[in-house]
Amino acid sequence: MSLFGTTSGFGTSGTSMFGSATTDNHNPMKDIEVTSSPDDSIGCLSFSPPTLPGNFLIAGSWANDVRCWEVQDSGQTIPKAQQMHTGPVLDVCWSDDGSKVFTASCDKTAKMWDLSSNQAIQIAQHDAPVKTIHWIKAPNYSCVMTGSWDKTLKFWDTRSSNPMMVLQLPERCYCADVIYPMAVVATAERGLIVYQLENQPSEFRRIESPLKHQHRCVAIFKDKQNKPTGFALGSIEGRVAIHYINPPNPAKDNFTFKCHRSNGTNTSAPQDIYAVNGIAFHPVHGTLATVGSDGRFSFWDKDARTKLKTSEQLDQPISACCFNHNGNIFAYASSYDWSKVRTPGPALGAPRQQSQALGSEGLGLSCDSSQDSHVSLGRSLSPPCKGKLQDFLKWLWGFSTAFGQNPAHRKCSASVSHYGLLCSWAQKHRQAGGCTL
Amino acid sequence: MAICQFFLQGRCRFGDRCWNEHPGARGAGGGRQQPQQQPSGNNRRGWNTTSQRYSNVIQPSSFSKSTPWGGSRDQEKPYFSSFDSGASTNRKEGFGLSENPFASLSPDEQKDEKKLLEGIVKDMEVWESSGQWMFSVYSPVKKKPNISGFTDISPEELRLEYHNFLTSNNLQSYLNSVQHLINQWRNRVNELKSLNISTKVALLSDVKDGVNQAAPAFGFGSSQAATFMSPGFPVNNSSSDNAQNFSFKTNSGFAAASSGSPAGFGSSPAFGAAASTSSGISTSAPAFGFGKPEVTSAASFSFKSPAASSFGSPGFSGLPASLATGPVRAPVAPAFGGGSSVAGFGSPGSHSHTAFPKPSSDTFGNSSISTSLSASSSIIATDNVLFTPRDKLTVEELEQFQSKKFTLGKIPLKPPPLELLNF
Repeated sequence: MSLFGTTSGFGTSGTSMFGSATTDNHNPMKDIEVTSSPDDSIGCLSFSPPTLPGNFLIAGSWANDVRCWEVQDSGQTIPKAQQMHTGPVLDVCWSDDGSKVFTASCDKTAKMWDLSSNQAIQIAQHDAPVKTIHWIKAPNYSCVMTGSWDKTLKFWDTRSSNPMMVLQLPERCYCADVIYPMAVVATAERGLIVYQLENQPSEFRRIESPLKHQHRCVAIFKDKQNKPTGFALGSIEGRVAIHYINPPNPAKDNFTFKCHRSNGTNTSAPQDIYAVNGIAFHPVHGTLATVGSDGRFSFWDKDARTKLKTSEQLDQPISACCFNHNGNIFAYASSYDWSKVRTPGPALGAPRQQSQALGSEGLGLSCDSSQDSHVSLGRSLSPPCKGKLQDFLKWLWGFSTAFGQNPAHRKCSASVSHYGLLCSWAQKHRQAGGCTL
Repeated sequence: MAICQFFLQGRCRFGDRCWNEHPGARGAGGGRQQPQQQPSGNNRRGWNTTSQRYSNVIQPSSFSKSTPWGGSRDQEKPYFSSFDSGASTNRKEGFGLSENPFASLSPDEQKDEKKLLEGIVKDMEVWESSGQWMFSVYSPVKKKPNISGFTDISPEELRLEYHNFLTSNNLQSYLNSVQHLINQWRNRVNELKSLNISTKVALLSDVKDGVNQAAPAFGFGSSQAATFMSPGFPVNNSSSDNAQNFSFKTNSGFAAASSGSPAGFGSSPAFGAAASTSSGISTSAPAFGFGKPEVTSAASFSFKSPAASSFGSPGFSGLPASLATGPVRAPVAPAFGGGSSVAGFGSPGSHSHTAFPKPSSDTFGNSSISTSLSASSSIIATDNVLFTPRDKLTVEELEQFQSKKFTLGKIPLKPPPLELLNF
């Protein structure tokens, strides 16, 4: 395990640092890297619910696997188990009792993984890759909700092979979130639908998109009474919209903000705009985290409408993020998210290491020759050396201490002392040399 | 711009970020004003209130010009820079007053359109230069339907295609298809940047009436390597072809077709088929404006299924705009309002949902080619469904058509005659 300050490769990496002379920026925040991370891009992360003692992290990757780690309080991560699909895994979620994990994959199926027996059975079938999967626990029913690119939303009782209900979507499902009794689905063509889940799932309202470009990720937030009251929607245009379902004053309460853009202050030069790959809300404080293709993550306070913190830039896009059930741990995945499909040209013929050729972000466009990319793909699937394809999971400990240090957040200051665990962030401020975990 | 009174008194709080003009200092439109104080008091910046949103809504990319935002500062109190409080109310009003794009416009409306077009051009420039994901739909104003000509492909879909091609060892065709998509996007962006008359007209009708997005290279998802990348885009038969190749034509086809809808409610499915090019997605143009209350806010949404639309009111494409301010609109427009309209939706919601799109998608899938072709040809040929011959109109209706604006209450139920339309 790499503690703070050390960046030696471990786990999957064979060779040590980059062959080239560039600085190693894969973990600029000096957060804990998870051992045995997946071999290909990580599409989704999910922490275990509070009903399970301890913290378990599930990650689905484009290498067709789903991996589970136990995360101990010391920060140590222990790989526990793994399941395979026949296609890349796009979404994962836990059941409410923490005994089962549901995984959705491009092989058009969703599986239920029983952790105690380490068996996975198929519980859902679609006509196209399943993009989202969520567990719904209602007083009178519980089911799995799967959203797919076949424009349907299906609800499955895990015991039956026929869906309990099928709802049509206007377009392919791109992202969804569920906090009972509310569910939000964002589709292609800027579609946005809210469902209410009481008694049985039904469409509640279709909302005109507050964003002008493709929807990428969505997350529901709760109000002070712990009831879901709105959602945050991220697009590919570096913008997040905060939208309340029934606000007292829609024009004032709903807003959008820009994020994940380069040179924010220098407005004369054209900015680089990056997609928002994931949004997660802190379960206790209600602040939100966004991760983007620019390789940064940021924390925001939507009520005060301020940005709290932005990380340093990682060398790869951050493709997924997740808080654990009490908000002590923030996990983010650094891996390529296919965002750099650009014109061929500069990337073509650019010198790069053999193993990085696949990461030649053109994704095919800037590959030298198909043969070349084929070779490097094979190589990248085996433990990659530190190149663009290196994927890590990182930890940010004691995150809430960062909140406490922001004088604007007096409400959080009480928690500083409680979360005594040092994170690298706090460490920097206290200039402590050692790790006191 | 307005002169800043506070600056004249020597006490403007915003300095060079102030929106109003500081004569003698800087005139550049800078940041946002904060007419309201934050309860917490300290120097937080930057989110709008509802007023003054006019220019913001139209030129969203200019938001970046405003307050220096904490992007590069990680210290305390960085702030969100641009906020829009989602108020496009001004915008709606602007549209509400304007009629069909082909009639003469009052100066206000012209200004609106100009701003809109400028906004679009700016957005296109930003899109190109910023390196953001290119396979995305786009709408010039939030809450309005998408502009045609852009296909929505998520990175995961593209990547999956890559994986599929990889296994079939056919990487070159993947490269070709992506290249093709990029070219198409680039063409469309250039088209929008250099607005000539035809694209302008198409755009305006897009924005007002709503347009159906072509189902994108959704041929991506469903077809395999072999069939992939045939001319234009495969799959969904019609759609992408229309959107990409005939972008102008189809649009005006829509504008014209939409006027045909009121010809009879019974004909609405046919209309719906004509108007939409993609299965499942349809923007019945007039319905965009109408949305009867019981149909809920889905009506004002560009994806509403045609079956759910009730063309109870007359339907000239200019009408929804004017009705927008009328009572019909009110319950529908506030998507946040909740209230009765939503309640009404709640129950039929789940049922109608599954019921409607299915039959409609069948209609679309099958007839879309033929109808879309006929739509484009209808511009040329006078179709009875789309235009009424002059002699069939009553005197009053003729008068209405001939006047500059429709008067509420006297709006004709039949589409106008071809002669009166000047494209």
